[in-house]
Amino acid sequence: MAVLALDILTTAGILFVVSSGLLIILGVMKLINFAHGAFLTVGGYTAYSVSAAGYSPWLSIPAAAIFGFVGGLVVERLIVRPLYDRPLDAILATWGLGIVIGQLITLGFGRGVQFVPTPLAGTTELLGVDYSAYRLVVAIVAVLLVIAMSALLKLTRFGLNARAVIMDETLARGLGIDSTRVRAWTFGIGAALACAAGALITPLLSVDPNMGLPWLVNSFMLVLISGVSFPSLFVASLILGGAQVVVSTYANPILGGMTIVVIAALVLRINPKGFSRG
Amino acid sequence: MKIPHLVFGLGLGLLSMSAQAQETIKIGIPVGLSGANSVVAPSVVQASELAVEQINAHGGVLGRELELIIADDESGAQGAQRAYDSLVFQHRVDAIVAMETSAARNAGLPIVNRGQIPYIYTSFYEGKSCSPWMHINAWVPEQQVAPIVDQFMNELGAKSFFLIGSDYAFGRGMLEFTREYVEANGGEVVGEEYLPMDGSDWTAIISQLRSANPDALITSTAGGAPNVTLTKQLRTSGVNIPYGNYAVDEGTAASMGSDAEGIYIAASYITGIDSKANAEFREALRAKFGDDTETPNELSVPQYEAILAYAMAVEQAGTTDAEPVVEALSEVTVEGPRGSITMDKQRHAPLTMYLGQIQGDGSVSVINSFENVDPGEQCPQFAE
Repeated sequence: MAVLALDILTTAGILFVVSSGLLIILGVMKLINFAHGAFLTVGGYTAYSVSAAGYSPWLSIPAAAIFGFVGGLVVERLIVRPLYDRPLDAILATWGLGIVIGQLITLGFGRGVQFVPTPLAGTTELLGVDYSAYRLVVAIVAVLLVIAMSALLKLTRFGLNARAVIMDETLARGLGIDSTRVRAWTFGIGAALACAAGALITPLLSVDPNMGLPWLVNSFMLVLISGVSFPSLFVASLILGGAQVVVSTYANPILGGMTIVVIAALVLRINPKGFSRG
Repeated sequence: MKIPHLVFGLGLGLLSMSAQAQETIKIGIPVGLSGANSVVAPSVVQASELAVEQINAHGGVLGRELELIIADDESGAQGAQRAYDSLVFQHRVDAIVAMETSAARNAGLPIVNRGQIPYIYTSFYEGKSCSPWMHINAWVPEQQVAPIVDQFMNELGAKSFFLIGSDYAFGRGMLEFTREYVEANGGEVVGEEYLPMDGSDWTAIISQLRSANPDALITSTAGGAPNVTLTKQLRTSGVNIPYGNYAVDEGTAASMGSDAEGIYIAASYITGIDSKANAEFREALRAKFGDDTETPNELSVPQYEAILAYAMAVEQAGTTDAEPVVEALSEVTVEGPRGSITMDKQRHAPLTMYLGQIQGDGSVSVINSFENVDPGEQCPQFAE
């Protein structure tokens, strides 16, 4: 039972971490970022480059965040901003961007699987069972991230502006809020979160040009039912991730792989607002 | 005036092409230059080129040179259909020698049957694929499973096994055979779980493994990402029981480093095989490709040997006609890097299998070798 509880908690943590970058971009910019999977992959390769250069694997996570933030600002300026008035085209553009990033990575690093050293190997004892120490770290990071991102939105000037843009962009601009700047920062933060998440999960995954892709669909579903709230994204991760673990454990893992998508579709059918209260 | 010239020129071109076609013997090589097999494909192409170069340097076959025609099968069924169509009906190849996925082989076989040409399949696979035109010189589950399971049961005293695989024909085929073999030898399988090919979250399966508390673990995932994610997640969960892995080869082991330490593998080719033929083969590869040499492996060496086998079969038959060549393919013996190999057991080959264990630095140490392991009943309709 303790193992099941820890499996659910850590799976939810991983899901939350990989989805949070998608959530903030969708919330503030009303843009579904299909390049999210590619951003995760970029984070994985940043981790690979950092450790290949001989630095501590722990450094790879902040390095990926910084790289993602700068890259996100550039992408926003060059690709997303010119398409603000054409939301559907902007979504298509992020899809294309994802393909381009994937191909650039293939050109640069090859198709093969790269290996990144694990910063924290082995298990630790918790609730009377030996459990993967690194998974617990990811779960703790997820909880800290919920607090940090909620604080960013609720307690800072940027958060206030962002929430104004979310509620009514025209009115926000009328009040003198530079919504273009808010959008640029949001995209940067979203890309930074995605890249950092990619770096964070590499010790559990293989680094290859498609590593982010399997996460895109589940992230997308979680974000759709969460509205624009990090706590509700965490709740969604806990419930849907938990369902996935339970189905995988007691039925079979092939059905488990579909659980999140199916439940998300049901939730949206019954309550189009999903888990968000806003 | 211009148009007749053009037609005349074209006709001349076609004539010279057909004249050339009579001179060379064409071997079609469908291989996954893109897709899942693209990592290993370069080594397979190099092995094929080396074989053809060596044969041509010795005067070719029946006084004719060999020529390779390489086609990308995109590692899957649809790409294979295009590749085989083009090789068989446009290029009119005399034979096909193919290292590719089971999906690609299954898609290509009907085209080979229509084209009626000799076909040698050179990838290990799940077994029991039979066609009047096909020979296979790589291992099947019967040859791969026994060394690992025997080691675990006899040397390490394992009684209960847990099996984990990717959900596809090869993964399930290998593990089903493993289950039968374990149970036939008095062992017990306490769990058998699969994840889809693109799945990367092994959490629930690993927890089940830990609660089942087996003596040994055997995995059969797709190569590449699924294999790596499973191994990494096993390591971070502190699973330390004997671990046999059907999807790890030497190259993967070398790059996985400490994550792969202790894993048992069984293979018909390991670069460290101490024989003159293997040393000469590796030297010839290096001489031809220099710094671009791909490390020879379990998939590229059978490809090399299969082309030698085809050349010998044509020589023995005295013709490239399909039926006598196919007959000769069951008789000729190739002395290659893996030893002497004859595809005389229902179109399959008895092979010497090596049991290896991966060391901390990623190298493979050979623990045991098993001479001429029989492939068992694969295609009884071709029994002698």
